[in-house]
Amino acid sequence: MIETREPTRYTERRRRKPPFARLSFYTFLGLIAVAWGYIFMAGDSGFTMLLEGRTWENAWQFLMRLAGADLDEGPAFLQAEQWWATGRLAYNTLAMSVLAIGIAGFGTFLTFIFAARNMSSGSLGGTPSRLGAVVYYLLRIFYAFTRAVPELVWAMLIVFFLSPGILPGAIALGIHNLGIMGRLAAEVVEDMDPAPARAMRASGAGIFQIFLYAILPQTLPHFITYLLYRWEVVIRTTVVVGFVSAGGLGLEMRLNLSFFHYDQVTLLILWYLLLVIGVDFLSAWMRKLARFD
Amino acid sequence: MRPARPLLESPHFLSLLLLGAVAWSVTGIGWGEPLLHTGGGDSALDLLLALFPPDLSPSFLLVCLQAAWQTLSIALASITVAVLLGFPLGVMASGALVSPNSRLRAPLMISSRFVLGTLRSIHELVWAVLLVAAIGLSPLAAIVALGLPYAGILGRIYAEFLEDTPEDPLTALRSAGASSWQTLIFGRLPMSTPDLVSYTFYRFECSIRSAAILSFVGIRGIGYEIQLSLGELLFSQVWTLLLILLAIVALVDFWSGRVRQSLVES
Repeated sequence: MIETREPTRYTERRRRKPPFARLSFYTFLGLIAVAWGYIFMAGDSGFTMLLEGRTWENAWQFLMRLAGADLDEGPAFLQAEQWWATGRLAYNTLAMSVLAIGIAGFGTFLTFIFAARNMSSGSLGGTPSRLGAVVYYLLRIFYAFTRAVPELVWAMLIVFFLSPGILPGAIALGIHNLGIMGRLAAEVVEDMDPAPARAMRASGAGIFQIFLYAILPQTLPHFITYLLYRWEVVIRTTVVVGFVSAGGLGLEMRLNLSFFHYDQVTLLILWYLLLVIGVDFLSAWMRKLARFD
Repeated sequence: MRPARPLLESPHFLSLLLLGAVAWSVTGIGWGEPLLHTGGGDSALDLLLALFPPDLSPSFLLVCLQAAWQTLSIALASITVAVLLGFPLGVMASGALVSPNSRLRAPLMISSRFVLGTLRSIHELVWAVLLVAAIGLSPLAAIVALGLPYAGILGRIYAEFLEDTPEDPLTALRSAGASSWQTLIFGRLPMSTPDLVSYTFYRFECSIRSAAILSFVGIRGIGYEIQLSLGELLFSQVWTLLLILLAIVALVDFWSGRVRQSLVES
């Protein structure tokens, strides 16, 4: 009996495979095909260039200049004083990334609770109100918008009225990450165990007490873990906002690129690698401190 | 009762550390100079007020639509490159293809992880700048510039997903005589498909934003139009472009949510 039933159940399962997921998969493949087609048809895609020897010659020359092979005094990244001179920028860049995370963290901390559906519907505590629902939707739209606009575009807008320095860069990075963090934190609240909050409400706790003693202890470790993960991303992204004169290593990199000081560019990339690796380690260590027990 | 943690591992220490770090970063702002440009407040207000209403004239919407498709096509093409490059690297980095006691295992895993890490730690815009300087401005440079760091990100996460599959079914496969290839194809891959697919979708969403900012090196698309409109102080056009970017990202987000749901339910 069992031998004959097993295969039929298996084929039944296969046939029930979600048509939506499969349809989406083929749609996505179709989109990819159209995109590649468009890129090849819409003008010079650059692929034919790869067949020309000149392209490879130029690329090789560029690599040599990155390595500083054309310089008599040797490339910048082999000189201690050059490292020292750019160290200040690396320090600023690190400060920018921390400030950005600080802005995103504080902004999220002040708002995330109102952006959780189970909070605004009153299932955790408090009373459901129309105001709560309106605030919920407004915050979700705010998060979606700040998230959808890339850091670079935020920076382009912000350097319009703020003087260059690490502050505009940090604000641009902070706003974008506020959208990401806010959504993640709100979803953590939505997925959390509601029992402690409900028990507190039943014993007469106020909404602020519930937030402090039932919601925060459960969500804060997740929240900090996400924050630290975002820090790893932010340190990589500081280069981008620096490009639009928001200060730090990014600005210096753009200047050196426009002056064709490619060996300096290599030095700055090496600084970046150091910062990225350092932040990855720090973040992993601090995430261990925030672990749940 | 849990044992008391040493001071360095207490949560209060972490809170102090984080707050201290933010306080330190605030000192890095040049407080001596004025924070706003002269007239900066006014241009901020102009920028904000231009939202009411954004520029919705048909001729401009047509420009927007074309820019949106240009950005989307770069994103789609680069995610293909990222998957094609990141997946094999991810499989190698997960160590799923070599038996646990093979002597090749450690070197293979470490070297592929190193490659993934290097690809990932250089930002896509830096890749773009370098590639444009090396091979010239073309869609090819943009696609490769996005594809390389995304391959690094996808590969790392693919490796983690493949490693995190439950052991028991794999042991069953192995004891039935399956090779490591067969365990990968019939065990690890089907079990991690929902995670792999939804993460790839999420990264596709990110690649749309990244494709938009490649305008900075001169690639046509939404970011390019934003830059043009900002340069001409046409703020209501900037808002239109930002709202279109929001709409595309929200649409992809919604789509990926539905796909994830239907994969998990099956």
